[in-house]
Amino acid sequence: MQLAAIVLLTFRELWAKKIVIGLLIISTLIWVMLTFALNLDIVEGSLAGVRLFGQDATPGETQVNEDTGEVTRELFSLERIVIEIERFVAAVAYWAGILLALFATATLLPSLLAKGRVDLLLSKPISRAGLLGGHLFGVLLTMVALALYLFGMVWLVMSLKTGIWAFHFFWGMLVVVAMFFVMYSVVTLIGVTTRSAPLALIVTYGLIIASLIFTGKDQLVPQINPPWRQVFLGFYHVLPNFGEVTMVVLKLTGNEAVTSWYPFFSSILFGAVLFAAAFFFFNRRDF
Amino acid sequence: MPPAVQVQQLSKRYSSAFSKQAVQALDGVDLQVEPGEIFGLLGPNGAGKTTLVKILLSIVQATGGRAALFGVPVDKPHARKRIGYLPENHQFPDFFTAEQMLDVYGRMAGVSAEDRKRRIPPLLETVRMTQWRETKIKKFSKGMMQRLGLAQALLNDADLILLDEPTDGVDPVGRREIRDVLVDLRDTGKTIFLNSHLLSEVEQVCTRVAILNQGRLAREGSIAELTAADLYYEVLSTPIPETLLATLSDKIQPRNGTPAQETVLRRYQLKANDRQTLNALLDRLRSENILLESVHPVRQSLEDYFIDVVTESV
Repeated sequence: MQLAAIVLLTFRELWAKKIVIGLLIISTLIWVMLTFALNLDIVEGSLAGVRLFGQDATPGETQVNEDTGEVTRELFSLERIVIEIERFVAAVAYWAGILLALFATATLLPSLLAKGRVDLLLSKPISRAGLLGGHLFGVLLTMVALALYLFGMVWLVMSLKTGIWAFHFFWGMLVVVAMFFVMYSVVTLIGVTTRSAPLALIVTYGLIIASLIFTGKDQLVPQINPPWRQVFLGFYHVLPNFGEVTMVVLKLTGNEAVTSWYPFFSSILFGAVLFAAAFFFFNRRDF
Repeated sequence: MPPAVQVQQLSKRYSSAFSKQAVQALDGVDLQVEPGEIFGLLGPNGAGKTTLVKILLSIVQATGGRAALFGVPVDKPHARKRIGYLPENHQFPDFFTAEQMLDVYGRMAGVSAEDRKRRIPPLLETVRMTQWRETKIKKFSKGMMQRLGLAQALLNDADLILLDEPTDGVDPVGRREIRDVLVDLRDTGKTIFLNSHLLSEVEQVCTRVAILNQGRLAREGSIAELTAADLYYEVLSTPIPETLLATLSDKIQPRNGTPAQETVLRRYQLKANDRQTLNALLDRLRSENILLESVHPVRQSLEDYFIDVVTESV
């Protein structure tokens, strides 16, 4: 019952700060746009044309006949259109969605741990681990619900429009939620130790920006001198590879084989270590 | 039945990894509060009162000694099951209404849905908040927040209620109402641990008090015992010769600014810790041919006593 109360408190706070409403509105705009602005002309089960906001946007690969100089265009298959649109949504959810969600949730923990408020919570017959765990569970549940709403509605709209039910789209959603939580581990650890939302955001966004450098690892490593190469590789293995995981999301959404799961699992490990540290410090600190 | 609060050799040292300065907030405090008492914890700012209360609730962790609530060590979450707490300068999420906040915090305290539904309306009535039950907390004044905080502390029908400055920011009428609530609670057998700067309030409500100073327990006892520890008497008599006054200067002092009704009579203040000392002093005066008109005991107020203890410790 106590855990449910903390989950409820977290959700009510997200709701009261209009965070849930804001993210719901953005998600709604995306699927409504797909419903009304995207028109697919399907003739006998094949794609005949695509119109976006009434303009022709039929995608295809242009081919030039070298002998005759004739230009022809081979249209994308219907399945490929579905995949590309769902990939686009997954990429938007991964980058814009996670950045927005982190910005929106960064104040939650410092606010929960504010003087005068944390005293009341800790005076209840709940363990500290239960209190922090309840908060994290509340955030996770809310994010899963929001992601399900966005991915579910987009999937439903695309499936109804095309008759292609691409369930693999939801694997992408799971990675998006998992990576949000990996980055939320940074917010949690900094929130627990300093109660500062701005600092938590600066560090989290800093790590995301740094992860973009890691995406060029294969090109950069040969050009770095040996002592610094180890340092670079050390950071690459220790820090979350947010940038590289974009490919995991896109491959999963496109129902393609993921060439390397390493960036994803090393990021998960990073998140697990940071959460463990957050629980450790939360259990020990005085308020 | 185990004591409601038991503290043995409790110590707390605040130190920081970034600073060499450490603060000894509590230094070997022993304290016991029996069930059914209204216990007042007094002390100047920085004496360690709030630290002690926070250790009892595991908000702050002790660096030495032991503390238990109803026999359960304070580091166990279930030690707080029978506890209600109103912290100083508390904050509630301001997006809740009074009723919603009580419901959520009641849930966290382990109060069943049925009990919450049954207890919340009369509690709001007790703290005169019924008409504001559907108003958002962000619109409340400090006094209203304080009354709502008290309702929150009482929601789980706790056996021990810890109150940190419960009347802070409350108007005199509200203060009296809170006092009445505390007395009613005492009459129903609840134990109250009151941490307050308002000594007159403590004096009116508490059955026993302790004074903390610089992290140490300076005094502990019932108010009657403490304020009677150094008894003063006002004596109206014929003038005492200067030579005798000089000899007994630590026991007898002329009362300045309060001349006797008759010019032949003078007022003096006698200090006597017990009846024997008082009678010995009066015998001495009579042996010097001083005629006594009246002798009245003057009991110290708790405030006078508190100031004496704190000044003495410094």
